[in-house]
Order: sequence, then C-alpha cells, then structure tokens
Amino acid sequence: MNLTQELELYPDHSVTQMLFKEVKNAAELRQKAVDGKINGALINPTMLVNSFQLLVAANKAVHLQKTGKMKTRSLYSEIIFNLSPTNNISEAFKRFGISDGDDSVLVVLVHNKDESQLLSDIAAKVDGRQIPVEDISSLSDAAKIKKLYKVTPREETCGTLLDAVVCRMATKDVM
Amino acid sequence: MATESSMALPEFLGKAELLKQGAEARVYRAQFLGKPTIVKERFQKRYRHPVLDEKLTHRRTVQEVRSILRCRRAGISAPVVYFVDYNSHCIFLEEITGSSTVRDHITSCPEAELERLAERVGQILAKMHDEDVIHGDLTTSNMLLRHSPEDGESDLVLIDFGLSYISALPEDKGVDLYVLEKAFLSTHPNTEALFEKLLKSYTASSKMSSAVIKKLDEVRLRGRKRSMVG
Repeated sequence: MNLTQELELYPDHSVTQMLFKEVKNAAELRQKAVDGKINGALINPTMLVNSFQLLVAANKAVHLQKTGKMKTRSLYSEIIFNLSPTNNISEAFKRFGISDGDDSVLVVLVHNKDESQLLSDIAAKVDGRQIPVEDISSLSDAAKIKKLYKVTPREETCGTLLDAVVCRMATKDVM
Repeated sequence: MATESSMALPEFLGKAELLKQGAEARVYRAQFLGKPTIVKERFQKRYRHPVLDEKLTHRRTVQEVRSILRCRRAGISAPVVYFVDYNSHCIFLEEITGSSTVRDHITSCPEAELERLAERVGQILAKMHDEDVIHGDLTTSNMLLRHSPEDGESDLVLIDFGLSYISALPEDKGVDLYVLEKAFLSTHPNTEALFEKLLKSYTASSKMSSAVIKKLDEVRLRGRKRSMVG
C-alpha cells in the first residue's frame, strides 16, 4: 500500500509515499498544509508519472537541505519545487501542490526508520480511500505532463516519459 | 551541517562497486532509489591550484549534464541523469544494462551487420552535430548497443559526455569526427572501408555535412607526422 524507500545517500532518512483517491477534504488539507500543520508534502498525483519521479525530487531536497542550499523555506516545499521544470516557486506549488477541488492526493513524508505513528497520523487526516502507490500511473495525466515539461515526440523515441521528466528535474539548475 | 553531508557520499561510494578509474573521474556502479545506477565522481586533483580545480571540475560536470539533456531532447539515446551533486561533482546516471560496446561488436560481428552498424553510427553522429553537441571523446568504447527484449534492432546509446560542449563550428565537428577516425582505425585494424561507410551515412543524414567534411579533410592534414608544407 505505502511505498517506503531509504535514501542511500542519507541512510537515516526514508521517504514514504501514500496515495489517496476519492478525497473529499482537499480544501481543508491544503489549508492545513499552508498553516504548517501537516508534517508532509501534499502532491497532485495527476502530475506524476511514477513514484520514482517523487523519489528523485525528495532525494534532491534532502541533499539541498543538508548542504544548506534549499531554494524554498522547508524540506516539503523543496520537494514540490524540485518536481517543477521551472524555477518559479509559486508556479511549482500551483501545478504540483494540491488544489481545493482535487479528488486525489499523494502524501509524502521524510522520516527516520521508526516513525510509523507519523504515517497513521497523517493518513487519518485524509478523507479518502487509500490505494497502492504503484497505481499512481492510473491517475497520471500524460498529456498535461508532456505539455508542462515540454516533452516532444522526438524525445520519446529514445526513452519513456519518466526518463524525460527525471532528466529535466535533475538538470534544472544548469539548463 | 557541511560535515554531515560530506560524510554520507564517501561512505556510499565506499560500498559501491568501482568500475573504472580514469585520469579525470572514477566510475562506480550502485543501487540508487531502487534503480541500478552509474555514479561518475570527478575527484579533486591536487596537482592543480584548488581554485582552478574547482572551476574546471564544476564546468566539466555542468557541460556533461547539459550535453546529455540536449542529446536526449533530440531523440539521441544517452543515459538518463538521475541526480547531480555539485559539492562532490558526482553525476548519478542510469545504468545501461544488457548492453555491449560497439567496440566489442566490431571485433566479433559478421561483415553484413557491420555495414548496418556503421550506417547507424553515422546517422546518430549527424543528429548530434546537427544539435551542435560536440562529444569530445568519440570512440567505439563510448557507444553502447542495448539489446532489446523483442527481436528488434538494438538501441545505439552514446555515453561518456565528459569532454563534451556545445558548438556550431564545423571545425569542432570536424575534429570530433577526426578523433573518432583515429580511435576507430587504431582499435580496429583494416576497417578503412567501414569508416568510409560511416562518413557516407553521416554526410547523407546531416544538414551541414559538407562544411564539416571539408574541415575534417583539413584537420587530417595537420597533426603528427603530417607535412604542413602548403
């Protein structure tokens, strides 16, 4: 159901993703996040191709936090910023964060090994049905993703959409 | 904080499998975020002045990563970049599994297949140069053939963009081809005709080939053991 990946570069840190469908309280959740009451990142899953995309963003965020080079003010906002192909922070939130009318949400937490309590705490706040994170591709809006990341059919001849997205995320700072 | 981050990577690399150590960088294989990954570490060169070393190393890392993305955007297969650590100058790349180098193929393949291979290499290099990407280290060891699961043609993948840069000059593209020619002919004896095929394919596929080939001819006349009487 949940998906947890330990960050090889920062072994004390693990990233857990939880995916929810038929979410009824997106507006409430978004407000709580803005108020800093949620210890996690709330992400719009329709903009994600695959959970790997999220892991790449999270790894980069933790790395930047540890080296004191984050562009945003918190780890969770940094994860959302890293997903975006542009350097505009508010645009990143608009596109990858959740909006009031959303009916699905991906919750991301970065934690130490034994923090299962945190997971159930957050899951309890979401009024929706939890589905396996592996099912995230069923929620992906490929057309919207291709448009935002400006992926051309030419590029898709040498790799998947995930490849194109991850490559841009990893090289954003120098392009 | 800074010491904390500089502790994690060396430990990670210490556990990874060292594949190659060159003059410029060390190449490791490891698992990263659940995927088989190649890590290219441009280590500190103590024989250089530290300020210069930092500038050069950083610039090379950035150029490598930019060239890869530029190639991919044009549909040229190159490893996907997963993560770049600009502090330790490490690039985390997709590991191209199930592949062999073009170099190994040339030494073991039948004649008919080789002609097709030369044709494809010419095409991919034409595409790359049309994107104004200069590879900088074209050899048959830096080209991989990724075997496809179905019985289709294997995928030609370019790797090691460590010396690459962006340039529109036919001179730079000519030199790029010259580097390949020298590497090709010295690694694979008696393959002049095969390389000619490669150049023919390049000329047919590239939009600016005549200027490039002209420069290639000029460059051939320079270099070691060449008469500069003119």
